[in-house]
Amino acid sequence: MSRGGKKLFYSVVLLLWAFLAALPFLGFSYGVVWVFLLAVYFTLALSYDIVGGYLGYMNLGHASFFGLGAYTTAILLNQGFNLFSALPGAMLLAAAFAAVISYPLFRLRGAYFALATFGLVSLIEVLTNNLRDLTGGSGGISTPPGDHTLPSYYLVLAVAGGTMVLSQIIARSKFGLALFSIREDEEVAKAFGVPTTLYKGLALIISSVPASVVGGIYVWHMTYISPESVFGLEIALSPIIMAMLGGTGIMIGPLVGAVFITLVQEFLWTKVPYFHLAMYGTVLVLLGRFMPGGLVRIRWIRPFIQRLDLGEAVDYFRNVDAERMP
Amino acid sequence: MSADLIQLLVGGVLLGGIYGLAAFGLSITFGVLNVLNLAHGEFLMLGSLLSYGLFVGLGINPFISAVLVIPVFMLLGVFFYLLLLKPIMDKPPHQLLVASILVTMGASLFIEDVTSFFWERPVTGISYSLPPMEFSGVVISSTRLLILLFIFALACGMQLYLKKTFVGKSIRAIVQGREGAKMVGIPISRVSALAFSIGMALAASAGAFYVTLFTVTPVMGIPLTIKYLCVVVLGGLGSIVGSVFGGLILGIAETLTAYYWGAEWSPTIAFILLIIILIIKPEGLFGAKK
Repeated sequence: MSRGGKKLFYSVVLLLWAFLAALPFLGFSYGVVWVFLLAVYFTLALSYDIVGGYLGYMNLGHASFFGLGAYTTAILLNQGFNLFSALPGAMLLAAAFAAVISYPLFRLRGAYFALATFGLVSLIEVLTNNLRDLTGGSGGISTPPGDHTLPSYYLVLAVAGGTMVLSQIIARSKFGLALFSIREDEEVAKAFGVPTTLYKGLALIISSVPASVVGGIYVWHMTYISPESVFGLEIALSPIIMAMLGGTGIMIGPLVGAVFITLVQEFLWTKVPYFHLAMYGTVLVLLGRFMPGGLVRIRWIRPFIQRLDLGEAVDYFRNVDAERMP
Repeated sequence: MSADLIQLLVGGVLLGGIYGLAAFGLSITFGVLNVLNLAHGEFLMLGSLLSYGLFVGLGINPFISAVLVIPVFMLLGVFFYLLLLKPIMDKPPHQLLVASILVTMGASLFIEDVTSFFWERPVTGISYSLPPMEFSGVVISSTRLLILLFIFALACGMQLYLKKTFVGKSIRAIVQGREGAKMVGIPISRVSALAFSIGMALAASAGAFYVTLFTVTPVMGIPLTIKYLCVVVLGGLGSIVGSVFGGLILGIAETLTAYYWGAEWSPTIAFILLIIILIIKPEGLFGAKK
């Protein structure tokens, strides 16, 4: 691992961030909206990756944290709170929810955990539809109007940057190492003294925080949400598809995946009005069939990623089928 | 009141039988392949639509189409297995998990989206009924009773097949231990394909009954798969009796919830049952303790 690669990577990231921060003043007003959504998806994908990639439990219900954050913020804003007291409220609620739900759900493993967490999203969607007094039901909920494009843009950039730092800190800490060991073999990790139940719960709580904050910012920016828009299939699955496509368990994976998918959405999907879910499905099937390690683990890309010194995570899918990709 | 309750229970048992039949298919697939087929509910949906088409187009009654869909979906199941699942079976456990979730979830989304594109009327149902029967004030639809009998016969037949025939025994051998089964010369790949296609055929057959009782939409597949998961966990992984009982419990619970709290709450009960069973008895009602 060369030092140079690491320096280069961090300076590129910093430059990119500086460019994005300057974007509103360069006159790309459409670009601002686009980068806003990209940053939302990226934050979701990256925070999903703490459980999905580091811990190895596929949490298909990650959107429930996003939706909870969005709805809590919207309700608090309507009660007259300002954003900076509403966001911590949303964060706390989502974290508490994650803590409560982690106990029963982490008794499941593998595909069962994935499907149960996926059921969680639809459960909360049904709840928001039914509790009309609190959430406005299927008609959705509006927040006090106002143009928050610029401040929400900077906030979401800050949260995305914070999530990158958080993810990197976890990947290099002893805690992160414990998560990796659970992913590789939970029984062995337990035998070596890793408090698996506690750490699994902690990982879920940590991953819920950025998702809920970004949900709050999202509703502040949009000023309207409906159950479908925050718990629907597309918002539930696309961050996970991004993380998977880029490569899980390594910070740069969700970044690559998020940029790739949003670009595809931008240039391809606006031209084809049908079959969006079917296309997602096809991407998923091809990913699972040919390269569950993701784009960053393709043979001719991997050396570059390794030189960036983002940890040993690239080697984790050692015998991936990406090797056999043409 | 009590007549109402009995009717509710009969409805719940019937719904539960349909759940149990399909959940058993899911359970057998998981036991043999170690892959949770997230597209399972989609096959029930496709089975329903096929049976609906047969009824409307050719006037074939749902009991016959429930049998007719079995060979069709077994063939489809073999193709699905060979095309999508067989290539990923040799991966190490964690990669197999990730790859199998991606593949089956992707297939599920694909089927759902394409079906809802071509199926223009979103809600359909078969108006097939036989004259009802009456026992001391309790009216029971004889269609429902016949369906229940049919499901019971199918479950018993399945149980006999697994216990008595050579192929059935080899399926159970793979469930017990893949390596061991390989060692005694069981052709793993062929038997896996068979087990997968049986699972799919059971789901499609359950779908043929589902459409006689409920409305069917192309988007119902994924929520149904989640319900089967609840049934399978409730009954205990890999147990036939368990998945039938789990199905019955869920069916009755859903019917009662819909009656007492309103239909909009019945989708939540499956998840609540799942959470309760995970807290109290994580191995399921009929599951072996690990």
